[in-house]
Amino acid sequence: MNGVTEQTIRNFCIIAHIDHGKSTLADRILQITGAVSEREMRDQILDSMDLERERGITIKAQAVRVHYTASDGVTYQLNLIDTPGHVDFSYEVSRSLAACEGALLVVDASQGIEAQTLANVYLAIESDLEIIPVLNKIDLPQADPELHGRAVADLIGDDPDNVLRISAKTGEGVADVLEAIVARIPPPEGEPAAPLRALIFDSVYDQYRGVVAFVRIVDGGIRSGDKLYAMQTGLSIPADQIGIMSPRMVPVERLDAGETGYIVTGLKAVGDLRVGDTLTLAHNRAAEPLPGYRDVKPMVFCGLFPVDADDYPDLRDALEKLSLNDASLVWEPETSQALGFGFRCGFLGLLHMDIVRERLEREYNLELLATTPNVEYQVRTTSGDEVEVHSPAELPAPNSTEVIREPYVRCTVLVPKDHIGAVMELCQERRGTFVTMEPIENRQQIIYDMPLAEIVMDFYDQLKSRTRGYASLDYDLVGYRESPLVKLDVLLAGDPVDALSMIVHKDLAYARGKALVERLQKTIPRQMFEVPIQAAIGGKIIARETVKARRKDVLAKCYGGDISRKRKLLEKQKEGKKRMKQVGRIEVPQEAFLSVLTIQDGAKK
Amino acid sequence: MTTPAHTGAPGGVDVPVAAPARHLYVHLPFCAHRCGYCAFVVETGGLDRRDDYIAAVICEVEQRCAEIGVLDTIYLGGGTPTLMRPRRIARLLRALADRTARAAEVTVEANPETVDGAQLDALRAAGVTRVSLGAQSFRPRVLERLERRATAEQVEAAVRCARRAGFDSVGIDLLFAVPGQTAADLEGDIARALALGVDHVSWYELEIKPGTALERMGAAPPDEDDAADAYERIVDALTAAGFEWYETANFARPGHRARHNMAYWTAADHVGVGVGAVGTAGGLRRRNAPGVDRYVAALRAGREPAHAVEALDADTRRRERWMLGLRLADGVDTSRVGPPDHPVALDDLEDAGMLVRDGARVRLTHRARFVQNAVAGRLMDFAA
Ligand SMILES: Nc1nc2c(ncn2[C@@H]2O[C@H](COP(=O)(O)OP(=O)(O)OP(=O)(O)O)[C@@H](O)[C@H]2O)c(=O)[nH]1
Ligand SMILES: C[S@@+](CC[C@H](N)C(=O)[O-])C[C@H]1O[C@@H](n2cnc3c(N)ncnc32)[C@H](O)[C@@H]1O
Ligand code: SF4
Ligand SMILES: [Mg+2]
Repeated sequence: MNGVTEQTIRNFCIIAHIDHGKSTLADRILQITGAVSEREMRDQILDSMDLERERGITIKAQAVRVHYTASDGVTYQLNLIDTPGHVDFSYEVSRSLAACEGALLVVDASQGIEAQTLANVYLAIESDLEIIPVLNKIDLPQADPELHGRAVADLIGDDPDNVLRISAKTGEGVADVLEAIVARIPPPEGEPAAPLRALIFDSVYDQYRGVVAFVRIVDGGIRSGDKLYAMQTGLSIPADQIGIMSPRMVPVERLDAGETGYIVTGLKAVGDLRVGDTLTLAHNRAAEPLPGYRDVKPMVFCGLFPVDADDYPDLRDALEKLSLNDASLVWEPETSQALGFGFRCGFLGLLHMDIVRERLEREYNLELLATTPNVEYQVRTTSGDEVEVHSPAELPAPNSTEVIREPYVRCTVLVPKDHIGAVMELCQERRGTFVTMEPIENRQQIIYDMPLAEIVMDFYDQLKSRTRGYASLDYDLVGYRESPLVKLDVLLAGDPVDALSMIVHKDLAYARGKALVERLQKTIPRQMFEVPIQAAIGGKIIARETVKARRKDVLAKCYGGDISRKRKLLEKQKEGKKRMKQVGRIEVPQEAFLSVLTIQDGAKK
Repeated sequence: MTTPAHTGAPGGVDVPVAAPARHLYVHLPFCAHRCGYCAFVVETGGLDRRDDYIAAVICEVEQRCAEIGVLDTIYLGGGTPTLMRPRRIARLLRALADRTARAAEVTVEANPETVDGAQLDALRAAGVTRVSLGAQSFRPRVLERLERRATAEQVEAAVRCARRAGFDSVGIDLLFAVPGQTAADLEGDIARALALGVDHVSWYELEIKPGTALERMGAAPPDEDDAADAYERIVDALTAAGFEWYETANFARPGHRARHNMAYWTAADHVGVGVGAVGTAGGLRRRNAPGVDRYVAALRAGREPAHAVEALDADTRRRERWMLGLRLADGVDTSRVGPPDHPVALDDLEDAGMLVRDGARVRLTHRARFVQNAVAGRLMDFAA
């Protein structure tokens, strides 16, 4: 880039609680800097995945380069990263922070600080970033910039006058944001002359280009055609094509210290490249790799099985490709007696699980069945072995189990004061232990330690509904604690169905077992035979329901003119069955495997 | 779709060259009024076209004489065939006389309110051997719901007259699962049907068909358990009274099974003439278009009437044969019909008491006949 030095580069990300307007602010920045023409412009343009647009949320962090000529007359290169706000994707935020020197902290001026605002601020402070506080949505009548401005300043230890007030929607104040970026965020401090060190912060599998790596150049530079070397994996990577995102992929001749861009690696096989790895030059290697990323720990696990068993190899291939674009996804082969061959996958949360499943189905044209999600347990057996358990089926038998531990999270709930009671009640019901409570601006921050398994169920929905939508939630793993847990088995027509088992607290086992079989009874349609549904703990039946046998499944009249129609009816019936999984003699609809998620309410009654 | 059968299939497997059919269906579409549940090809006006129509039907028979062999059964269905009056039916049967076997079964569907003793005598004299009277129900409330014109008394009178006329077989049609039909209604229908002393009963579950008045009213079918109660009750009562439950919806005294319908269920080739008529022969299913005017005009001009042809490949035909055969008390003759798609399912279903194997025959058990669609789905891949 002509005449660009590190001094005129600014790398920053936009962070905020979900829906506070990060992507909309990015829109305005792209517009003002002319990166996107009026014709190309659309709302939340960086949310380019169909799923993001449909759900109106950002799922993937998205890097883009723009040029801005500031009031000092200098043209700056701005590399911005729009991040997702949902708690499941906070890993995306921490990766993005590692590629930046500054962060725009966006806070909705009508809502103020929320749980992810806090979480993201702590992450940004930890990474030593310059934080520019921005109150957004001041166009809203219920906006209270005065109150929330003070609170935000308080939170980051800044002067309230430094809190910018904008409307990303109307564009008001956005020019000041750009000036603040240039003035307050320091330029990158790499060594242009040192051997290359480039951090891979994301990657994607592109059907035409193969594996594409997104990098932040810390020291040195890359010229198109350079031979690169990945310091962790030892892989050689030819930098056949390099370029920048603006926001489309634009090839360039060189990328220098401080810049972000992409490298078409020429790798066809996925799974080799690792996000967080450091690239250096093959013939002039750096001595030390960059710190990289902490490993993400998946929070929930579930089995993913192809509805059509023949799709198993395609599912493996799809998982490999998708993991490249989603470093937090982990998976290993799993065999279920009921469902055949599939994969046990680990996710950052339920939304993440839902998104991954949907991406696999859409982007790779698969039809999948997901089993009940569960958390990871640790078991010490009577012989002293420590085992990690990712599925109920792996849980050792009670007589060889010494101790079971389950993951606990520290939950931060932010809520208006009149809902404190409701929140505490919910947390108690879900086996939480109170930690502390303190006021934050006009709200209360309530902290509980809770079993992650309880959060994974419908905790968030309950929290929202019991506080009329006012509560926000963030959580972080705090470790494993011993719990009296048991495995609850489900038997269909007398045979245990491994994919329906769950691990539950012993005191809740009866209620959940009962609620679960009731739920299954409603979900499983009548079949040719009566289907008893039982819940059992250690072989003892604790609840039972029955799906009655079908009594009439005929088309009474069939004369000569009717034969085709009748045949088509049977064809249609068969078509409907495709959405079912055959478990032994029983046809089980896909929803049945997710029944467990919604039985919490029933369990309380 | 495979090559049409009458050209001889290349591989030659299981596609017989079509021999002339021994079964003929004739559709006579005129009705005085369209009943609330009826979706058949029916015309409720223009009765002055009846002579033209019979003439056209006779033309179609002539046109298609190569397809029609010596007829073992003839079925005049409707519509309301008896609106054609005995003389037109006699004219049609005379035209067919040359190709009608001596012992042929000749059935006419008769609406009770349209026939009296003299007319039934005339039909008998014209060669009709069997009448099927549309009763549907004997309960005024139910009849009203169905928008039926014939009263219970008219049905009973028609049965008596038909008996006196000396038909080989007299049958009635009835319906269950009519919205609003109570258990008491059903008991009443069973008692009166049995008291008639007929030879044959077709007792259909009412289907609420798209486009009918019943459907437009938003009528809902009873739930599965209520419909099953009614169906089981009908089967029990009729079999206890000496009827054989020989097909899903059909009951006959020994020796009185409807031979024409048996031809459908055993997938024998048959020809259909008249508007909306359907026939299947040699792997081709032909369906004439509705519309009396266009039908008459085409035949008058010596053209073929408008029709659609569906080619049935060997697998489709085998699946249909299973589907149809499972409807029969006698079941499927696998030596004729071929194996099911999932032969292992035969063992499973046999173990589960759903079917019985008897040499090459596969029959559903009493209980399984009530869930025959589910059984068929296990045995065969019905795939579009
Ligand atoms: N009135 C008003 N609405 C805004 C403003 N900025 C954003 N919005 C609206 O707020 C909603 C969320 O905006 P996004 O930009 O998608 O929020 P986000 O922070 O990127 O959300 P996530 O990526 O899901 O965390 C959208 O409906 C926007 O139109 C603003 O300044 N004023
Ligand atoms: C082709 S119809 C014509 C017979 C004659 N016109 C009559 O109505 O009596 C023959 C039989 O089909 C039955 N049927 C007609 N519509 C039906 C429906 N929607 N559901 C079930 N059976 C039906 C009736 O029992 C009727 O008697
Ligand atoms: S049910 Fe019979 S009489 Fe009634 S409209 Fe249909 S064909 Fe005509
Ligand atoms: Mg967004």
